[in-house]
Amino acid sequence: MSNRTLAGAAVALAALAAVPALPFMSKYYLLLAFDALLFGAIAMSLDLLIGYTGLVSFGHAAFFGLGAYATAVCLERKIVSLWICLAAAVVVVGLYALLVSYFATARRGIYFALLTLIFAEVVYTFFRYTQTFGGSDGIQGVPAAELAPGVALDTPLKNYYLVLVFLALAWLTCRTLVGSHFGRVLVAIRENEDRARFLGYNVTRYKMGVCLVSALLTGVAGALYPGRSGFATPDLMLWTVSGEFIIMVMIGGLGTLVGPVIGGVFFVVLQEKVSSYVDWYFIVIGLVLVLIVLFMPKGLLGFRRVQGFAQWRSGQ
Amino acid sequence: MSPGAVLEVHGVSKDFGALQALSDVSFAVRPGEVFSIIGPNGAGKSTLFNVIAGLHAPSRGRVVFRGEETTGLPPERVNRRGLAKTFQITNLFPEISVYENVRVAAQSRAGISGRVASLWRLPDVDPEVMDLLRAFDLQARRDELAENLSHGEQRYLEICLALATRPTLLLLDEPTAGMTPGETQAATALIRSIAADRGLTLLLIEHDMSVVMGISDRVAVLHFGEKIAEGTPDEIRRDPAVIDAYLGGADD
Repeated sequence: MSNRTLAGAAVALAALAAVPALPFMSKYYLLLAFDALLFGAIAMSLDLLIGYTGLVSFGHAAFFGLGAYATAVCLERKIVSLWICLAAAVVVVGLYALLVSYFATARRGIYFALLTLIFAEVVYTFFRYTQTFGGSDGIQGVPAAELAPGVALDTPLKNYYLVLVFLALAWLTCRTLVGSHFGRVLVAIRENEDRARFLGYNVTRYKMGVCLVSALLTGVAGALYPGRSGFATPDLMLWTVSGEFIIMVMIGGLGTLVGPVIGGVFFVVLQEKVSSYVDWYFIVIGLVLVLIVLFMPKGLLGFRRVQGFAQWRSGQ
Repeated sequence: MSPGAVLEVHGVSKDFGALQALSDVSFAVRPGEVFSIIGPNGAGKSTLFNVIAGLHAPSRGRVVFRGEETTGLPPERVNRRGLAKTFQITNLFPEISVYENVRVAAQSRAGISGRVASLWRLPDVDPEVMDLLRAFDLQARRDELAENLSHGEQRYLEICLALATRPTLLLLDEPTAGMTPGETQAATALIRSIAADRGLTLLLIEHDMSVVMGISDRVAVLHFGEKIAEGTPDEIRRDPAVIDAYLGGADD
């Protein structure tokens, strides 16, 4: 990773850390900022699959929701350590992701997308229509998690900084991954999976690996969500949520990592702002998306993609 | 069949439904030689390569590579044993640079490949990649996207990718397809000299007889999925069955 990249990241991190100091930052805006960064991080992890590997997951909402439920279940049982909540999410999401990716990576293209969707719908249906975890109400009113005994993450401000740290670590993870041996093979798989096999790569193993990383990052993001909202509900796993994740990646620009973060922020803020004025907000969002796809098919940051490859090389 | 052979193909048949693409094909390739398989279009040459390289399992018969059976192994395992293949229809990574194309092929043989550390480390394969690019005179094009190369350059990059996996046996499926006669001659000479430099054994598919006659040590002829002749280029040129397949076949 080049010094320029790291410097840019540090500046971005400092700017985001200063956001709560803005004069108009009410509790409402802090929560909005939390969502923006959280979904930005999710879109970034999904970009590993869509943008780098060429695999469109239509089931990321399940990873997100399972992470949220893992935390909510722990908190409900008064297990308030953030670390135990995260560990629970990693285990649950990891096992589920292994199962999904084992079957889904056996197929390509639309079949991969459909298999991830079907698995996610099964999970949604289980949480929505059985009473095991509260049925359609989910788990409500959970207490705040604790960073350490007695240090509760009980304000929007603390949660904002928590999600900011997560975003930074997730970016570092993704960025390292795409710059590695592993990441180069992912791009080769995106470009031409069959040829990658003839170069000696077991592409299924690589695809399962990247699914796992992407799912775990999304699951950990989900695990942070009840801290902000106090709940986990089956609606977090609706297939439309998976669709929104894909839209965020598309808006931001495939294969750029930073682009999808911006896409996520853009989407969350747009949705929140427009929906506060009109009920038919999705028409407005839809229109914006159509315009972006028509006039910026590579997304807000897409023009940097090819250039980015040249930069990695010169940065080594 | 023949001890010391790099590749042995024993009675290989391949059926696609009712169509018998290959029937009972056998031959052996000796270390260091250039062995060519020729035949008219549709003779089953590419199917034979796909069986050898692991894309298709044969319906009957066996493939033995460097003394070990590889019948039915997937392409990535066959490749890791030292067999690389180029494709008749150019098969590259179109939207990444020429350099990145060869790099991803070369790093497949770096020690880190398949290890956990490959998640965060990038092996240095630069000398190897640049050697290959220079050998095919592609070094000035290193930052160009593969899809933007000329047809001839893409054919060379195709071979670079295969060579980057450090094969002992290289399968070339019509490497000069779509080239002009002048380019074909230059390409054939280049391939021959690189194979000699690297001590490679070459297995070559061609439908253009004139290409193979100059560079092959031995030639086998496929016709409608069957091997109808095998021998030196001179023997093949005089073989009545071959003449009939190539010339007589034009009538029916």
